Amino acid sequence: MVNPHRTRLLAAFRRLIVLMAMGFALLPVFWLVSTSFKSYEEWASSPPHWLPQNPTLQNYRIVFAPEAARQFAAHQSGSLDYKVSGSAWSAFGNSALVATAATFLSVTFGTLAAYGISRFRGGGRGFAFRLLTVRMFPPIAVVVPMVVLFSLLRLTDTHLGLILAYTTFTLPFSVWMIRSFIEEVPIDLELAGRVHGYGRWQVFTLISLPLIRGGILATSLFVFILNWSEFLFALVLTSGHVVTVTLQVANYVSASSGKLYGVQAAMGTISTIPVILFGFLIQGHLARGLTLGAVHG
Amino acid sequence: MRDGTLALEPRRQLIRATGPVRSDIGWGNRLTWPAQLLLLVFVLVPTIVVVWLSFTDWQPTDRTPWYQAGWNGWDNFVELAGDQRFLGAVLRTLAIVVVSTAVELGLAVLLALLFLEEWAWKKFAVTVLLLPMMIVPVDAANAFFMLFNEHGPVNQIIGWIMQRPFQFAWLANPQWALTPILLVEIWQWTPLMFLLVLTAFLGVSRTQWRAALALGASPFYAFRRIILPLSLPLLTVAVLIRSIETFKIFDAIYILTRGGPGAATESVSMFMYNGGFVYFRMAYIAAAALLVLLLVISLCLAVQKPLLERHG
Repeated sequence: MVNPHRTRLLAAFRRLIVLMAMGFALLPVFWLVSTSFKSYEEWASSPPHWLPQNPTLQNYRIVFAPEAARQFAAHQSGSLDYKVSGSAWSAFGNSALVATAATFLSVTFGTLAAYGISRFRGGGRGFAFRLLTVRMFPPIAVVVPMVVLFSLLRLTDTHLGLILAYTTFTLPFSVWMIRSFIEEVPIDLELAGRVHGYGRWQVFTLISLPLIRGGILATSLFVFILNWSEFLFALVLTSGHVVTVTLQVANYVSASSGKLYGVQAAMGTISTIPVILFGFLIQGHLARGLTLGAVHG
Repeated sequence: MRDGTLALEPRRQLIRATGPVRSDIGWGNRLTWPAQLLLLVFVLVPTIVVVWLSFTDWQPTDRTPWYQAGWNGWDNFVELAGDQRFLGAVLRTLAIVVVSTAVELGLAVLLALLFLEEWAWKKFAVTVLLLPMMIVPVDAANAFFMLFNEHGPVNQIIGWIMQRPFQFAWLANPQWALTPILLVEIWQWTPLMFLLVLTAFLGVSRTQWRAALALGASPFYAFRRIILPLSLPLLTVAVLIRSIETFKIFDAIYILTRGGPGAATESVSMFMYNGGFVYFRMAYIAAAALLVLLLVISLCLAVQKPLLERHG
């Protein structure tokens, strides 16, 4: 039944398709990294250079050293573009602070809520689903009133404002993902704890929490990725003070020469590195995270 | 439970059988309070404000505070009903959802079928194929902006194939500007679909389709009658989740075209952003947001049943 010749042909065919798919997956990443090392003349040269002819770190210097940015701006147009001249350090600082704090709050509140929902049907029957609808409608639909609310609470353009917004909109992920981990813990362990005299809180902190430690870590990294990559809320709820990395990438535009490809690519390359690192660390949990716990990989 | 199946029921039934005592239920409720409070302040209150604003004529450029805005009745909704741009954005978004989800699913199934058997550098290949979903979406969109530049590599490759220089401004052409946007979306999220489909396929017991093949079934028949039906629930979840996420599409469009040229690539989210933060027609956009919320909620209610069956 098995024809060795045909099998070999199939294997070659499979290799070809997989290689093509890998090429498609890698091309944009390759282009981003390659452009980040190109000099100004090569950013959009015609024909395009796939590899930088004179590899340079200039783009990275513009990102990190305000002095290099000023020189570049002066050299290009004679006029200083304020967005280009700012360094990316503060953007990284802002993003790190906002993403970390929001992740901490989201996962903490998420764990509590998930435990309450999973073990005690806390929040009522529909609570978990009300959470899901937060994920379903486009965030822009509540952004207009959020702008109103934020100015009322004086949260516009503050770290705290972004942290609270991010916490709220990643809560569904935290709750559903951690809930799926909690439900993998046999409830008998917890009942045994109760029988042996532990209180509810002791059962939770001494039995359940240690058992889902790995799950909480995976959820944290996943939620951090979401927060770090967020763009829309950062765009709408801030105005120049709390600039996140995703905003900073979009900021590298000059009035005279349009998008600064090389600088955007350099900023993009650096800002995506933590995401790739964390992403591969939790590769086994990505399916669970992005389906809000529905799929256990 | 690492067998690629969905969360199962028994534990839940156990809870029901043993039954949390009344004081436990109160404790469980208290655990959800922080989450409930955040949702109340940052989701429920804004939603109520949206409903109210949508019946007013509030425009921040008039320098009236939002709570003193004049009552407008159904005017915003009447205007929306006749707004070709809004209708176009809704239909375009639905088209983006259908096309990208379908392409993602097709590619994912094709790829997953190649990964059922063990072969040499399979692990490495999976890692590379998952890379796109780990790129910050804004950066991915920027990369595609460069790829589809008039002098970019995409035109260069097309030129190689056509044997003559090819220069085409993709993003400035109303008919073609949507193509790079769709490609970003497909490029970034086919990996997730691939991961889910592969999980579903590997969850199907290998002995079952091996037996079918041994009994003389064609591979296609074995796939259609064994693998596909058994992985269908998981595929449904994957398609639903991708559809919901794609409906919200914003980042890629903002970076690539901002909805232009004209309104040729405007999605629902982009329409609302432009209306609210470029033209400052807040009340009008609130009305649009309300309609979209209603649309999404009714879609959610329609898909709630299959999802509920998953989660219990």
